[in-house]
Amino acid sequence: MIDPGKALILFGIITAVLALFFLPKYGLTDRWKRASRGMQRVLIEDALKHIFDCEYKNIHCTTESIAGTLLIPTDQSAELLTRLATMGLLSTNDNGVHLTADGRSYALRVIRVHRLWERYLADETSVPPTEWHASAELAEHTLTPAETEALAAQIGNPHFDPHGDPIPTPTGEIPPKQGRSLLSLSGGEFAVVTHIEDEPETVFAQLTAQGLYVGMQVMMIERSNERVRFAANGEEIVLAPLLANNLTVAPITEEEPRITAPLSPLSSLSVGDEARVLSISKAMRGHQRRRLMDLGVVPGTVIRAEMKSASGDPTAYNIRGALVALRRQHAEMIFIQKQ
Amino acid sequence: MTQTHAANCEDCPVHNLGNLKKLGINMAEFDFVVALAGNPNTGKSTVFNALTGLRQHTGNWPGKTVTRAEGGFDYGDKRFKLVDLPGTYSLLSTSTDEEVARDFILFGQPDVTVIVVDATRLERNLNLVLQVLEITDRAVLCLNLMDEAKRHGIVVDPRGLARDLGIPVVAAAARQEEGIPELLKYIYEVANGTYVCRPHRLERTAPQLERALTALTGRITAAFPDIPNARWIALRLLEGDQKIIDAVRSGELGSLIRRTPVRQNEQHLIAGTV
Amino acid sequence: MSKAAQHTSDTDAILATANTLRWEIGDNIHDTLVESIYTDAQRIASRSVTEPDSKPKFSMDRQLDRLITSRWFGFPLMFLMLAVVFWLTVEGANVPSAMIASFLVDTVHPWLRAAFSSLGSPWWFTGLMVDGVWLAMAWVISVMLPPMAIFFPLFTLLEDFGYLPRVAFNMDSLFRRAGAHGKQSLSMVMGFGCNAAGVVATRIIDSPRERLIAIITNNFSLCNGRWPTQILIASIFFGALVPSHLAGLITAGAVVTVAMLGIFFTLAVSWGLSNTVLKGEASAFSLELPPYRPPQLWQTLYTSLIDRTAIVLWRAIIFAAPAGAVIWLVSNIHIGQLSLAEHFIAASDPFGILLGLNGVILLAYIIAIPANEIVIPTVLMLTVLSAKLAGVGDGAGVMFELDDASGVADVLRAGGWTMLTGLNLMLFSLLHNPCSTTIYTIYKETKSVKWTAVASVLPVIMGLVICFLVAQVYRLLA
Repeated sequence: MIDPGKALILFGIITAVLALFFLPKYGLTDRWKRASRGMQRVLIEDALKHIFDCEYKNIHCTTESIAGTLLIPTDQSAELLTRLATMGLLSTNDNGVHLTADGRSYALRVIRVHRLWERYLADETSVPPTEWHASAELAEHTLTPAETEALAAQIGNPHFDPHGDPIPTPTGEIPPKQGRSLLSLSGGEFAVVTHIEDEPETVFAQLTAQGLYVGMQVMMIERSNERVRFAANGEEIVLAPLLANNLTVAPITEEEPRITAPLSPLSSLSVGDEARVLSISKAMRGHQRRRLMDLGVVPGTVIRAEMKSASGDPTAYNIRGALVALRRQHAEMIFIQKQ
Repeated sequence: MTQTHAANCEDCPVHNLGNLKKLGINMAEFDFVVALAGNPNTGKSTVFNALTGLRQHTGNWPGKTVTRAEGGFDYGDKRFKLVDLPGTYSLLSTSTDEEVARDFILFGQPDVTVIVVDATRLERNLNLVLQVLEITDRAVLCLNLMDEAKRHGIVVDPRGLARDLGIPVVAAAARQEEGIPELLKYIYEVANGTYVCRPHRLERTAPQLERALTALTGRITAAFPDIPNARWIALRLLEGDQKIIDAVRSGELGSLIRRTPVRQNEQHLIAGTV
Repeated sequence: MSKAAQHTSDTDAILATANTLRWEIGDNIHDTLVESIYTDAQRIASRSVTEPDSKPKFSMDRQLDRLITSRWFGFPLMFLMLAVVFWLTVEGANVPSAMIASFLVDTVHPWLRAAFSSLGSPWWFTGLMVDGVWLAMAWVISVMLPPMAIFFPLFTLLEDFGYLPRVAFNMDSLFRRAGAHGKQSLSMVMGFGCNAAGVVATRIIDSPRERLIAIITNNFSLCNGRWPTQILIASIFFGALVPSHLAGLITAGAVVTVAMLGIFFTLAVSWGLSNTVLKGEASAFSLELPPYRPPQLWQTLYTSLIDRTAIVLWRAIIFAAPAGAVIWLVSNIHIGQLSLAEHFIAASDPFGILLGLNGVILLAYIIAIPANEIVIPTVLMLTVLSAKLAGVGDGAGVMFELDDASGVADVLRAGGWTMLTGLNLMLFSLLHNPCSTTIYTIYKETKSVKWTAVASVLPVIMGLVICFLVAQVYRLLA
């Protein structure tokens, strides 16, 4: 029989080798997967996407900016542009590079997958916002057209991604850019967040860490060259102008009630008390949002907190006569007015 | 079209035989098919048992892991097949249960849809009722658990409700078999066309949505003049519902027409106003 | 334009219009729609419903809820309830199980043998059909039927009364931390009765991701077919260590520890799955607590017997029959001097010993995959066969059981079993692939080869690794 001590050591070695290969994120297979992103096709698609983005936002695109975005040296980036031009995806004139019709439709296909995937992650899964973009960067190069359309059908053919960007249709239609920068608001002006730029990742992470999401109501308080003070759903936030410039806003409608004080969440309601629902945070998405609304949680509904579970969470609420248990994390996203 | 009925047959069944077959329903020994819808915990299965007795069996919906109970009963000179739909709060979300229930009412076109509601939680239950009435105009409301409502001092007026919803409403306590005879009578009358429903349809939504709905509904009625629920189809298209998109594209929508002659006249009136 | 072309252009125009309009109306359509439906619902309800003037001060439902979900009584009450259900099941099943076994094994089995030989059936055919197929089916029916016929109706009664949703409510925070749904506690408890039924019971979880987690981890609930194995082995190898008046306590303690370990693995694996491979699957939470209602006794009995017990039992019998044939065949087909079974046992014994098990156990778990109920009879038969014990059992390929545990202990010790073998058999009985009925059910419920494979292979790998580690540590310390 094998000596138990030796057997354990052997086992340890085998485990270590397997971990080296298959550990999520740090394992070799995952590293290879990430490294393979540097392949030609991926570079081409990423370059097209970047140029499309420049054109969509009306900013100037250069060999340097492409090199910066794709994390490749400038000479390789120039080489890539030549290649794109010979493929008929790009044309060059005095003002710089432009997508041809073919290039544009190629770019839109890639963008469609990217944004659909982000929307899927946001609506249907528990993947945190900071990981959406990275995951979509992988998916956009790997999903086949058939898989893409199946995904779109499954999540109800959405028209916007969770950052507020429009998702191109399968035929490549996309509406023109709308909205303006948060910085353009004057003091006291109300607006709604329609887009949060998801690149670079660190900026997006900082913005989501502030609790900002698309659909939030904002009001400009004051703005200087050093900082921007504004209220988001009644809660004051201070950002550097550079960061705040990543938020796009649109005017809100007349009938929309103006939020002037911090909203209280349903989770703050004590057992035995009643409150009226004001709104459901836009951060509650997809299936969870639909299910809550089906159960009768809509603006105007009177809700009474009935009891807490033996372990303190979830809490059961009386919603239109029925007793429904909500987890704290979801109750925090329902805003109420206490009665 | 998957089924032809004599044009002037007033008490003929209206169900869609071809689609029912696809949904795994065998109508060989039955005249009418009745769907049983309702929220969970409304005593739906008690109503099912009260209607069918031991003439029932359970299985799965084809291709789905959703349980289906089927049963049968006779009333008057007709034989009815009763299909129990999964208990759902709504037909709008994307859960499998809701898809199964929605597809059966839309594509199977049951002769009658019985909606079981809990009389003590009427408001919440009406969410589903109103959605069902958007799809079909042949329904009976079973106001169940009236005994429980009475115990809690809640009074519900079935006649007022029937007036507002435009369908027959039966007050019932299925556990005590109360109201079951009336329920059978109304199922029979709606099935053979003696009772013509004028179901409540959603009137107003937000102005912006309303404009979009009107425009799209117009286009749908122009292409498919005989379907009974063009506005609801428009709503689903605006929500990007793939099943409905496919039904429009394949032309299957065209087979989901109203088949009762009484309704035909009214149909022309509606089409004429668009 | 032809009619078909006209039609296509119509439908295209509809879809194109819908698409353009969707850009204009934005993303809020679902919210708007549900709000308008509820506005109508509220208006209609307010016209025909008259609420009582004053809310009743005392509501039976709320009082009961306050007790059941209370911080102090909630969990003890739950454990008490479960204990009562299990006690009723075990106690209630004992007598009918013994009766069915004695009828099918002691009366029908010899009668069938006699009938077969009087009809001139060759010995091998009688062996295959009567000793193999019939005995396997008899065992499965007698061990499985009585507990399920008691457990399932009790469970359904608690469900209909409205108690079980409250259990899910109380347990949710524990399962939430593991990335799962509180209702998984219910399918888990159902798994203590039968894993196949537990897998079907996950239908109550309406969120796809959480449902998949519940399906994959259900096998960690010690099922009806494995309890007897645990109790027998625990009493032989642990109960026998202490004075006889403590034996029962120690045995029970060991079995409960294994069951608790199963719950621990359920939560740990749920957590692992929800944070890795299932991170990207769809997820949502909702749980309604229905009002308490008196259960309808006869309807419950009827539906739980028909829907749960009969279907699961039927599947088990279907799978047990061919297994019985295989068990008989491997013990009776000889290559050279030895049967197939003995060849396999001899070859796999070193590997088995390395894991703290032995070749007999490995073979038993492979050929008895259709039902955990026949593992012990198979182990006994194979031990007698491979250790060439005389005077015990009924011959090659004929599964048997002994009336008293000490007889079984003698056979196992003669087969070379030690305390480590006993311990690791208990662990492996908890951590191995689901029975084939359950595997089939998992496939039917998930419609996915991938998830069925994960649910089947993951527990075996865990079992092998854990048995291996326990064996090495045990040997280092011993």
